[in-house]
Amino acid sequence: MSIDVPSPVAPTHELNTVRPSIRAASVGLAKRNIRGIRRLPSAFLPALIMPVFQAIAFSGSFFAITQIPGFPTDRSINWFMPLAILMGSGFAGIGIGLAAIRDIETGFYDRLRLAPAPRSSLITGPLLGALGRSLVVTTLVMTVGILLGARWNDGVLSVVPLYVAGLGIAAAGTGWGLGLAFRFRDMRAAALMQLTLFIGLFLSEAQTPLYVMEGWLHTVARINPFTNILRLAREGWVGEVSWDNTWGGVLALVVISALTLWFARRGLDKLDD
Amino acid sequence: MTTTLVTDPPRVPPDRPVLHTSNIAQTWAMSKRAILAMWRQPSLVIPSMVFPLFFIALGTSAFSRAINVPGFPEVDSYLDFALAGAVVQGVLFGSVTGATALATDVENGFFDRLLASPSTRPGIIVGRLAGGMAYGAFQTAFFMVVLLPFGLEIKGGPVGAVALVASGTLLALAVGAIMSTMAIRTGSSEAVQGAFPLLFIALFFSSAFFPRSTMSGFYATLADYNPISYLVEGMRDLVIGGLTWWALSRAILLPALLAVGGVALALRSLNKRLAAS
Repeated sequence: MSIDVPSPVAPTHELNTVRPSIRAASVGLAKRNIRGIRRLPSAFLPALIMPVFQAIAFSGSFFAITQIPGFPTDRSINWFMPLAILMGSGFAGIGIGLAAIRDIETGFYDRLRLAPAPRSSLITGPLLGALGRSLVVTTLVMTVGILLGARWNDGVLSVVPLYVAGLGIAAAGTGWGLGLAFRFRDMRAAALMQLTLFIGLFLSEAQTPLYVMEGWLHTVARINPFTNILRLAREGWVGEVSWDNTWGGVLALVVISALTLWFARRGLDKLDD
Repeated sequence: MTTTLVTDPPRVPPDRPVLHTSNIAQTWAMSKRAILAMWRQPSLVIPSMVFPLFFIALGTSAFSRAINVPGFPEVDSYLDFALAGAVVQGVLFGSVTGATALATDVENGFFDRLLASPSTRPGIIVGRLAGGMAYGAFQTAFFMVVLLPFGLEIKGGPVGAVALVASGTLLALAVGAIMSTMAIRTGSSEAVQGAFPLLFIALFFSSAFFPRSTMSGFYATLADYNPISYLVEGMRDLVIGGLTWWALSRAILLPALLAVGGVALALRSLNKRLAAS
């Protein structure tokens, strides 16, 4: 007597055993991140609306500071619009950290870590997403700013440092957000992410130029690297575009982004422990 | 043969809390609960204490030279000017916390248990609002005490300082009542939290940080129509102008009127909820 043993069911399609390249995996994760805006707009809208509100509110409320003798511009919106863009771009990066916390809490992040994609793509993918978000924030806030009376001093060239500063701070925000998300692994990290960026930016030349400040804030703002980043973002809107206003901000962005992204990578590696 | 069951009268443990039978005692118990909740969860209230102080410290350094621009009232320092804005900011944010706690009570069913208990209904709301008032008074006094060593000078003197505390207390009642109305109507802590950005926007579109006389265009118009401008300016008069009847009436009467309206709205919402259930 013979027993017919059913043969194992053949897969309907070949298993994909090819390891995706870091570029393909990063683009896939970035796309997922951008799609998240449509699926959960409440998570991204504050990063979009708050800088617009901040540009309007600050330039209106603190309009009188342009009358301080020697103030570098007579348009308060020229002074506050770059600050709002940096704030929005920074929060776009931090938003990536919040999204990572949601994924960690739901367990989806474990599946991502088990995927045969290069580990670095878990950093570079969300980073690309954050850069995309920063471009949206910068474009929107600048458009609103121009409608409200912001005027550039160096033509279209004035826009370049603004975008560079926005992208740089989004990268730094992503590294910081992801690093904290990987360490705390829950929403306790959210307040720390937001507060540190908020305080870091405000303890700089955010509201008034250094020479207008007095006391402790002057001392802190002088050594705060965000002062250089703000100077980079403002050149072309407050004064002319020049190398003197550029290099300090670019250097600060490169160093801060490198440190925070390294912090994120270390945190990602420690998730395995 | 008949058996008579003899039972001892129920023994009340000596440490059992006494039942509150009077309306005042019940309202006081609710107030105590609201205050204890804040005390036990400092992370909920610390932002409303720290952020106004952070902004005032920042502003005093950043805007110290702005007090000389045309249109700025005569003040010794930006610190004196900014105190009223800090008080209003702290009270507004603190009131959201209180109302969120009420909405959480509605969400988790505790509010319905209170309604089912033989307690006074208005006491449930008034008690919580009284807790908010106590916190508003504490915030105002705390800001003054912290800022005094940094050069704060209240031109209204000790009476002016007491009037400021009274104003902060009434404002806490007014805003707390309005936010509680929202909490009772929506029954959602998320909806109450959602009002936070609105309050933030309303605060910035007022004269909380800079005087209206230095603003221009549509922004000045918005600040002119914003009631927060008048609340802040009433308190500010006591700090930078001194003790006058006009300053006192603006600092006390305006929040008192708002409080009457707000409490009426909150009690009406409670009655509507009771009628619907």
